[in-house]
Amino acid sequence: MTFEIEVNGRTRRVSVERAGTEPGQFLVGVDGTTKVVDARRVGEFGISLLFPGDAHAGTAIDLAPGSAPGEVLAHLAGRTIRIVVNGRRAARRGADTSGTAHGEQKVTAPMPGRVVRVLVAQGEGVAARQPVVVVEAMKMENELRSPKAGRVKDVAVEAGTSVEAGRVLIVIE
Amino acid sequence: MKILIANRGEIAVRIIRACREMGLPTVAVYSDCDRGARHVRDADQAVHIGPSPPSQSYLRIDRLLDAARATGADAVHPGYGFLAENAAFARACRDAGLTFIGPSPDAIEKMGSKTGARAIATRAGVPVVPGTDEPFAAAATDRQIVDAATRVGYPLLVKAVAGGGGKGMRAVETPDSLLNAVRTARSEAGSAFGDTAVYFERRLIRPRHIEIQLLGDCHGTIVPFVERECSIQRRHQKVVEESPSLAVTPALRGRIAAAAQSVAKAAGYTSAGTIEFLLDEDGSFYFLEMNTRLQVEHPVTEMVTSIDLVHWQIRIAQGERLSIDPERALAPHGHAIECRIYAEDPDQGFMPSPGLIRGVRAASGPGIRNDGGVVAGYTVPVFYDSMIAKLIAWAESRGAALARMERALREYEVLGIRTTIPFFLWLMREPDFVDGRFDTTYLDQVLASRRGDSFMTLTEPEETELAIAAGLDAWWRATSGAASSSRASGSAWKSAARQDALRG
Repeated sequence: MTFEIEVNGRTRRVSVERAGTEPGQFLVGVDGTTKVVDARRVGEFGISLLFPGDAHAGTAIDLAPGSAPGEVLAHLAGRTIRIVVNGRRAARRGADTSGTAHGEQKVTAPMPGRVVRVLVAQGEGVAARQPVVVVEAMKMENELRSPKAGRVKDVAVEAGTSVEAGRVLIVIE
Repeated sequence: MKILIANRGEIAVRIIRACREMGLPTVAVYSDCDRGARHVRDADQAVHIGPSPPSQSYLRIDRLLDAARATGADAVHPGYGFLAENAAFARACRDAGLTFIGPSPDAIEKMGSKTGARAIATRAGVPVVPGTDEPFAAAATDRQIVDAATRVGYPLLVKAVAGGGGKGMRAVETPDSLLNAVRTARSEAGSAFGDTAVYFERRLIRPRHIEIQLLGDCHGTIVPFVERECSIQRRHQKVVEESPSLAVTPALRGRIAAAAQSVAKAAGYTSAGTIEFLLDEDGSFYFLEMNTRLQVEHPVTEMVTSIDLVHWQIRIAQGERLSIDPERALAPHGHAIECRIYAEDPDQGFMPSPGLIRGVRAASGPGIRNDGGVVAGYTVPVFYDSMIAKLIAWAESRGAALARMERALREYEVLGIRTTIPFFLWLMREPDFVDGRFDTTYLDQVLASRRGDSFMTLTEPEETELAIAAGLDAWWRATSGAASSSRASGSAWKSAARQDALRG
């Protein structure tokens, strides 16, 4: 069985098949390089991997469902890494926030809050990831950034506006 | 004594733990979204006090007093934040016949005004950062404001009299940006504290934030503790605290502690409190403000002194005399460091990342303390501060404490939401931090110099391991139902799959 798996923005082709009849023994190929893997599920989210061919090196990874289709949030030694499985569609969705987005883009409120400052004006040019508006939520001021380089088409709020999650704040074209 | 905890999250859990150790029954309070929260489960009794926004629940004095009456509580612990430094609340508790586990309303009021507190410190012979003695009248003319700034000198800070956490504060480098800064600070202070009064303070260039914990009993004894180093701040919010400070010698410690003690005496202070100082590069220190409550970072003091501050708050409220050896309180054993773990995504400019926590496995093992407030299955709400836990590491030396903290951070699993743990992993190896070369401006500067680089750095083998794990996981799910599948009947995965199917 073959999957297309995006780890931290890089897409890998992963093939999985059983190795012999022992449970938990697999042959796993990543971009054509195949390894014997001894894998066990531990609880609902945990996976323990041992690599008999690599001096029995081991690693523990937890995988929990993310918020988007095909998205998985992995935990590895203190870090949280976004993984997308078979997600050509989901991967494109992910790219919308990566700074290379195309077309008209909306900056929306990620959660209910209050607009503290609008940092750009209509018609102004902006760089990708440039802060465009500051929203206070959860007792913190949060800078929201432009998803792409472009021009501010519309500023839909002003300082002091209370906003619901998902409300369009700024439109970049 | 039955104690109602007028708070939520990790601090409510912390206080319930102390009460249980002392054999005291507890009452939790909760808003709509906190019904399933950990503090509700841990307490003996729990009372609903209203909708999720704090102004309709955790800040409602009337409802908290009703909850105390309904459960027969005799005392109220306010925790930190919410109403902890609200003199009207302390007074309302007293008037309702409840013991307020904190200082007197009078002391809260005196030290709550930043200009009032500066005056008390000055009278106690403790240096304050040069600045204006009185806040400006709302009607102050531009001319008066400019003249006052000239007397204080540049660079300066415009600060809210009722301020805290950097709200209503503006740095002014040169006279031309002064009036604008005063206006924005006033409006920010007005919306955050309901008080537009501001004043000026000279801005020290590279200060450290050093603070002295103290306990005062109702018989006139005040015991100061070894300092906490809280210079690691992001946008004026502390994120890492440690004790002792590398910048404080035993002799300097004695001087700062004595200064803190005399300020607290002058304020007639009782219970736990903290006096904050700025320590300049030349070793001179200045009174900054007093926090009239238990602090978020109190565990680092507990770890290096083995003294339980919450136990003592309760014993003091019961009228007990302090019996702590003052020398012990000032002599740290080993080194402790705390990381405040927030539900924020460090790769998205520390944007809050509320949501469903699928799983939590807190770090443990030698020298580790986890003051947590969340459990698996809990949804981090959007209404409150997003701190979900404090991780504290103790070891015999600072170097060993950092290594232990890094070990514990790698162990700490929070599944389903993003947290600031990857940021702390990076910080534990940042050379200036490791060497103790920092001041309050350090973290914002070093973060800015990273220009948004990801904290989720992976080695090539790690990236491959993650791809393998995700591939196996997908294989297990695709073949689940097959006889030999070890796929757990994970409800989370099932519902995620259902959602995927619905979205087509």
